[in-house]
Parts: sequence; structure tokens; C-alpha cells
Amino acid sequence: MDDVIKIIGIGLISIILIIIVKQYRPEFAIYISLIAGVIILYFALDKISNIINLLKSICEKSGANSSFLEILIKMTGIAFLAEFAVSICKDSGENTIANKVELGSKAIIISMSIPIIYNLLEVILKILPN
Amino acid sequence: MNVDLLFKIAAVGILVAVLHQVLCRAGREEQAMMTTLAGVVIVLTLVIKEISSLFDTVRTLFGL
Repeated sequence: MDDVIKIIGIGLISIILIIIVKQYRPEFAIYISLIAGVIILYFALDKISNIINLLKSICEKSGANSSFLEILIKMTGIAFLAEFAVSICKDSGENTIANKVELGSKAIIISMSIPIIYNLLEVILKILPN
Repeated sequence: MNVDLLFKIAAVGILVAVLHQVLCRAGREEQAMMTTLAGVVIVLTLVIKEISSLFDTVRTLFGL
């Protein structure tokens, strides 16, 4: 419960600071929002590391192919960072850069998913009576 | 990863704004620009350090 309060507190404090600083030095507002984002993401990362360890343990127990899980975790990492950058770009009003970053991260994620799709097709072909 | 970073950056921002005003009133626009740039550089180094530590954490965590 206290994590939620901590995150909300940081969010509100940074909003108040941004309003104060925005009148005099607009560029510092972006820095404050960036640092607030980084701090809040650190709290989220602690929780996410527990989730990832849980997933890994489940995957080992079930004996499933763990390479797919590795790829999936990598994808979430890329999406995690890309979303951070995209929201900062949009916040500062640069929608074109935000879209380019989003496009690039989507391309990387899709290129990482190719082995999974390939294996899926192989399994399907095996099942089909040829 | 502590919250006083936020206050440090806000303090530098306000300080730079005040210095800028004071120096402008005193007729030294160049020094005013210098202090603003110095403030921006200080804050930028702080922010970049934090972002790089975030990226390292994410890299080790997600195995990127």
C-alpha cells in the first residue's frame, strides 16, 4: 500500500514543481518530469522483477521451452523503455519523434518474434495430414 | 533512487531563473546566458546519470 502512496506522492510533487518552474524556465519542466518518470519506474521495476522470477520458475517447473519466455521477457523490456521515451517525447510536444521511436521499437519487437512464429508454423505443419 | 533529486533539480531551475533576472536587470545579458547554460548543464548531467542507471537496471532485469 505504501508503494502506491509513494508513487502518487512523487507524481503530485513533481507536478507542483513543474508548475512553479515552468513560468520562469520552461526547459527545466521537462527535466523534472523526466526524473519523476525515472523514479517511479524504479519502483515499478522492483515489482516487475518479482513477476519475472515467478514466470521463470513456473516455466522451469512446467518444462516448457524456456527460450520463448526469454524472448517474451525481452519484448516487454523493449516495450517498457520505448513507452518511457515515447511519453516523454509526446509530453514535450514532439509527436513526430514519438511516432518514430514507437515505429522503431515495434520493428525491433516484430523482428524478435520471428523465431516464435517459425516454430509455430512448424508445429502446425506437423499436425496437418500431408 | 531518492526523491530529493526532484527538489535538487527544481532548486537549480529556480536559482537559474532568479540569477537570469538579476543579471539581466544589471545589464549583463552575457553572464545571464552563461548562468542559464551552466544550470542546464548541471541538471543534464544529473538527469543523464539517472537515466543511464535506469537503462542498466532494465538491461540486467530483462536480459536485453
